[in-house]
Amino acid sequence: MTVATRSSRQSRAGVVAEIAARRRVDVRAELAAIDRAELRRRVRSAPRPRPVAERLAAAGLQLIAEIKRASPSAGAIAVAGDDIVARARAYQRGGAAAISVLCEPHWFGGSPADLTAVRAAVSIPVLAKEFVVESRQLDLLRAAGADLVLLLAVLHPGPRLARLVDRARALGLEPLVEAHDERELDVALATGARLIGINNRDLRTLVVDPERAARLRERVPEDRLVVAESGVRDPAIVRGWRALGFDAALVGEALVRAADPEAAARTYVEAGRPPADPANLDRIPFVKICGVTDAAGIEAAVRAGADAVGLNLVPGTPRALELREAVALAARLRAVAPPGARPAIVAITVDLPADELNRIGAALDADAIQLNGAEPPSVIAALDRPAWKVLHLPRAAGGGADAAATDGGTATDGGTAPDGARAADGAVSTVVSAARAAISAGATRILLDTAGGPHPGGTGTRADTGLVAAVAREVPVVLAGGLDPGSVGPALRAAPIVGVDVASGVEAVRRPGTRPVKDPLRVALFVKRARAARIDRPNLLARPSPVHAGLVEADARGRWGMERDFGGRYVPETLIGALEQLEAAYDAIRHDPRFWAELRELLERFAGRPTALYRADRLVEAARAEAARLRAGRNGGAGTIPATRLYLKREDLAHTGAHKMNNALGQALLTRRLGKSRVIAETGAGQHGVATATACALLGLPCVVFMGEEDIRRQAPNVLRMRALGAEVRSVTSGTATLKDAVNEAMRDWVTNVETTHYVLGSAMGPHPYPTIVRDLQRRIGDEAARQLRDVEGRLPDLALACVGGGSNAIGLLARFIGEASVRLAVAEAAGDGVATGRHAAAIAGGTPGILHGSRSLMLQDRDGQVVEAHSASAGLDYPGVGPQLAALAEAGRLEVATATDREAIAAMRAVTRTEGILPALETAHAVAALPKLLAGIEGSGRPLPDGGVVLLGFSGRGDKDMAALERFADVEAWEGAR
Amino acid sequence: MTAAPGSDPRGSGGVAAGVRGRSTNDTPGGRRIAAAFEWARSQGRIALIPYVVAGYPDDEGSLAAACAAIDAGADLLEVGLPYSDPLADGATLQRASHAALVAGATFDRSLALVARIAAARPGTPLVPMGYANQLIGGGDGRDRAIALASAGAAGVIVADLTPDEGEPFEAVAAAAGLAVVYLVAPTTSPARRAAIAARSGGFLYCVSLVGVTGARATLPSSVRGLVADVRAASPVPVAVGFGVSRPAHVRALARAGADGVIVASALVDALGPEGRDVARMGRLVAALRAAASGRPATTR
Repeated sequence: MTVATRSSRQSRAGVVAEIAARRRVDVRAELAAIDRAELRRRVRSAPRPRPVAERLAAAGLQLIAEIKRASPSAGAIAVAGDDIVARARAYQRGGAAAISVLCEPHWFGGSPADLTAVRAAVSIPVLAKEFVVESRQLDLLRAAGADLVLLLAVLHPGPRLARLVDRARALGLEPLVEAHDERELDVALATGARLIGINNRDLRTLVVDPERAARLRERVPEDRLVVAESGVRDPAIVRGWRALGFDAALVGEALVRAADPEAAARTYVEAGRPPADPANLDRIPFVKICGVTDAAGIEAAVRAGADAVGLNLVPGTPRALELREAVALAARLRAVAPPGARPAIVAITVDLPADELNRIGAALDADAIQLNGAEPPSVIAALDRPAWKVLHLPRAAGGGADAAATDGGTATDGGTAPDGARAADGAVSTVVSAARAAISAGATRILLDTAGGPHPGGTGTRADTGLVAAVAREVPVVLAGGLDPGSVGPALRAAPIVGVDVASGVEAVRRPGTRPVKDPLRVALFVKRARAARIDRPNLLARPSPVHAGLVEADARGRWGMERDFGGRYVPETLIGALEQLEAAYDAIRHDPRFWAELRELLERFAGRPTALYRADRLVEAARAEAARLRAGRNGGAGTIPATRLYLKREDLAHTGAHKMNNALGQALLTRRLGKSRVIAETGAGQHGVATATACALLGLPCVVFMGEEDIRRQAPNVLRMRALGAEVRSVTSGTATLKDAVNEAMRDWVTNVETTHYVLGSAMGPHPYPTIVRDLQRRIGDEAARQLRDVEGRLPDLALACVGGGSNAIGLLARFIGEASVRLAVAEAAGDGVATGRHAAAIAGGTPGILHGSRSLMLQDRDGQVVEAHSASAGLDYPGVGPQLAALAEAGRLEVATATDREAIAAMRAVTRTEGILPALETAHAVAALPKLLAGIEGSGRPLPDGGVVLLGFSGRGDKDMAALERFADVEAWEGAR
Repeated sequence: MTAAPGSDPRGSGGVAAGVRGRSTNDTPGGRRIAAAFEWARSQGRIALIPYVVAGYPDDEGSLAAACAAIDAGADLLEVGLPYSDPLADGATLQRASHAALVAGATFDRSLALVARIAAARPGTPLVPMGYANQLIGGGDGRDRAIALASAGAAGVIVADLTPDEGEPFEAVAAAAGLAVVYLVAPTTSPARRAAIAARSGGFLYCVSLVGVTGARATLPSSVRGLVADVRAASPVPVAVGFGVSRPAHVRALARAGADGVIVASALVDALGPEGRDVARMGRLVAALRAAASGRPATTR
C-alpha cells in the first residue's frame, strides 16, 4: 500500500480539500463498477447496525478508539505487520464504547476492508472514519458493516450535508457530523444529527488547538451527543473534556502508538468516568421520569438510572393509564430494575379522596402518591404512603417552552401579571407557604410545576426562572414542566432545585391517535444531563438556604452579613490591582468544572481525599462522662447527658496532616492560572506552611513562608518539614512574633513583589476575595461529610462543631449546613488562660468589630484600635481575628460559640489519644474540649441535643507537631472518663 | 461572579463617584492644604511634607522634631499615628511606631500632640496618617474625624483605605471639615488613578514604588513617567512619597512635575537610634527644602 506524505503545495482550502478531491475520483470509479442493485443487495446483507447513541448517553465520557495506519500529520504510524484486528479487540477489552476505523487509502492507508475485518472481531459499534463526498458512498460503508459514519461539515454546503445525514439515518448509519469552527458547527447543528463532533484540528492546516473543543462545546445544545476529536496527549485532556460535558472522545494517535493497547484504552476510559466522590454525589439531583405509558418506557427509565417513575392515573389526560395497566407497568419495573437501585414508583393523581388514594397506592404498592390537584394538607396527612405534592407557579413570561411539546392543547393564561414584581413576590410567598404547609402535613417531596394548561397532570411549559429560584431558595423543590435534555442542565444550574421531573420532554414524536411514548435516547440523555449538571461545580447552590443571603455569599464588594458590614477590602492601594486580578481570575474559574475536576483529581490521588468519617464511640462516652461531671459541678447534676453518636471528619488523614492541603493545592493551581511564578504564605502552627510548601514542590513553584519567631520555636518539626520541601522559612520578629505578624510581613512582601507573586493566604480571612476563595476550597470538608453521614446515618448531623482560629477549617466544615435549619453550628475558640483573664484568642466570644488584615470582622483590640496580642498554646489558633463569614454567622445568631482553655485542650488531646488512638493537633483538641461543654449545655446555646443525636466534629489535623506542648502541660490529665 | 450581583454601580477604574459626587477637597482642611501647595508654587518650589511619628521617642521629643521640621522649611507636616500592625510600613517606621506605643502613645495623646503642634506653628497644615482600624474600626470613624479636626488637623491619610471602602469615612470627614487624602500606586491602572484623584481631598499621595515605606538610595526609573501621568490626571496637587530620602530625589521629582514630596523614614533615620537628634533631622529637612526650590544642595 502506498501512503502519500503531506503535500508540500497546499491549496487555499488546504489538506482536506486535496484529500476530498482525490476521494471523489476514487469513489466515483468504485461506484461505477457496481450496479445499483448489487449495492442494494450488499447493504441488505450487511450485519444489522449496532445502536450507538444510547451507549454514548451513558454517564461520563465514552472512548471511541481509533485504528489507523498513517496520517498526513504523523506519517506512517502503525508498525509493519501490526494486527489491527487484535488491536481492536484490545480496545474493546479496555472498555472502548466504539471503534473508529480509517477507511481512506492514500493519506491514512485505510480501507473499508479494514472496517469489515475489525467489525467482525468486536461486538461494539464501528465508525467509518472516511471522507464522504458522495451520497452512495454511505451505502458502500454500510455494506462494509459501518454502524456510524463521519461527515465533515467543511466539505459540504448545509443542504447537502443535511441530505447526507438523512441518507445515513435511512440506511441505519448513525452520522457523526464534525465541525472545527463556529460556522461549520452552525451548519452541523442545522442538520439535526444526534452526534456532533468537534475537531481540535483544523483540517485545512492540520494545526491542533486543544482549546478549540472547549470553546465550541458551549455552542452545542445539551440535547446533542458531543464528541471531541484530536489533540489528546494524555488522559488529563480527556478528564477535562468530561468535565466540560463531552459525551465521547475520539482518541487516535495516543492510542495507536501504545504498545499495550488494552491498558492504554483503559486509562482513557478511566479518565472519562464520572466522579463518584462524596462531595459530588452530595450535589446530584433527584430525577423523575413521569408519564411512562409502556414497558419500553419503563425499561428506558431503569436503564438510564432514574430515581423515580411516574404512572399517570388522571383520567382524560394524554398519558392516563387504567389502574390495571399501571399495576402491570409497576410489576415490569420491579422485574427489570437492578436490586438496590430500583426507581421509586409514583402514582400520579388529581383531587381524589384519601381512601381512594390509599387504595391506588396499595394496588400499585406505590412508593409515593403524587397529588397534582388542590388537595388540602388534611389529605396528605390521611395517606398511608409518602405524599408528593405538586404546586404551581406562573409560567415564564413570553410563553415559556414550545406549547406544541405539551399534550397538544394551548396553555391557558397563566402568565406573569403585567404589574410584574409584586405579583411575582406574591406567587413566591404563596407557593412557599403552601409547600411548608404540605411538608408539615407529611409531604416528603414538593414538585413545582407551571400553572395553567388544559390538563391538571402537567403543562409542559417552563416557569419563570427567577420565581423558581426564589421558591427553591426557601423550600426543597423538584422542578417539573417544560424540561428536556437540552434545558435540564441549565435549569439545575440556575436555581437551587433539588431535582427535576420530565414527561413530554423525553418523548418520541407522537403518532396521531396514539398515547405518547418515551424516546429511550432522550430519557438516557435527560438523566445523564441532570446528573452531570452540578458535577465538579462545588460553588453552585444545590439546595435551599432559607437564611439571609449575606450569611451564604459575599456581595460584589466582598461584604458579608445581614447588614453587609463584615468583609470588604481594606488594603494599601498598591495591592488593589493584584486583588482585582485575583478576583477576575477566580471569577473565571469559580464555576469552571475543568478547574475543579483537576483540583479534585489532585486531592484524590495526591492528598488522599475523601478523608474518612470515623465514628468515635469510646471518645463520645468519655465526653458524656466529662459533660456529666461539668454539669454536676455547675448545678448539682440535674438530668442525664443524652446518648450521642460522634463522627470525626478526619482531615488529619489528608496529606501533610491537616485540612490546609485543600486550600494550598487549590491556590497553587490558581497561581498557575494567574501566570505568577512565586508563592508566599504565612503560617502559625506550620500546617499551612507545610501544605503550601508541599503544593509548591508538586507544581515546581518557589515558595517563601513567613512564620513568627515564637511559632518557629513552638513548631520546630514543621519548620524542618518546610525546609526539606524546598521552601524558605522567614522568621518574623516584629510585633508579637506570631501568626498576625507573619500575615503583616507576608503582606509587606506581597506589596513589594506583587507583580510576580501570589500570596497563598491560609485562612478564610483577609481582603476580598480571599474569604470566598478559601471558603470555596475548604467547603469540600463539609460537602464530603454530609454525604458520608447520610450513607451511615441517613441524615444530617444535629450539631456540627469545629475549632476556629482564622476559620478555614470551621467554615469549610460548616458552609454545607448553614442553610440546614435542623443542624446547629458551633465553633470552639481558643480561650488561652481563660477569656476572663484577657489572655486568650477568642475573637468572637471576646472581640469587637474592627479591621484586621484587610477586612472588617470581629477581632481583639483595645479602645484605641490597637490590635491586642492573642494568647493560646496552640499556634494555629493564636490569632486575634476571625474570618468575616464566621463573624457574620455569629452576629446573626446562626453560630454557637464555645471556648476551650489551653489546659482544657490538653486534657481533651489526651482523652482522644487514649480512647481512640488518634493524636489530634492541639488546635483540633479545642473542638474536642468544647464537646462536653456543649453536651452539658453550659456553653453555646445551652440547648440539649436530642437523645440519639448525631454530632459531626471537624477533626482538622494531627498532633505529631504538638508533642512539646503535651510535655509542657505534663501536669494536665485526660478527662476522668478517658484515663 | 465571586459575589452576588447587585450592589453599587462603579465609575471608571472601579471607583465609585464618592459622596454625592464630591471629594473632601472642598472642605476647610482641603482649602488650607491647597493654600500651602499654592504658596510653595508661588515661591517657585514644590511643597515639602516631612513626617514625624507622634510620641516617638516620646511626646516632647516628637513635638520638638515637628517644630524643627516646620522651622527648617516644611510646607505641610504629616504626623504618624503609632499603630500595632503597620503593614504598609518598612522597618524604620515599624520600629518608631512600636517604640512610641511602648513609650505609652495613645490616640488621645497623639491628638494632644497634634493640637500642641498646631498651636505652636499655626501656619502649617497638619495631616495625620494612620490605619483604618485606628480611625474607622467597627464604626464609621465619625468621632475620630471630629477629634482630629478639633485638634487642628487639616487632612488625614489612611494607609489601608481606598475610595472603594472610603465613602462613609469621607462623609464624616467632610462634615468635620477634614480632607481625606487618597493614595495612588504604580500598580494603579490609569483609569483608576484618575478616579482616585477625583476623590482625593487636599492633595493626592503618589506612591513612588511598588513596596512598603522606607528610605531608598535610588528611586525606580519609572517614577518620572508615573508622576507625569498622575499629575496629568489629577485635579489636586500631587505629592510623591515612599523611598524619597535625598535632595537629589526631590530635585528629580520636581523636574518630573510633582507638586510636593513626602519624606518619612529618612527623617526618622536622621533622628538617630534614640530618636532625639533633632538638629540632624532639621539639617536634612533644610537640605530637602533647598532641593525643593531647585537650588543646589547646601553643604554641611
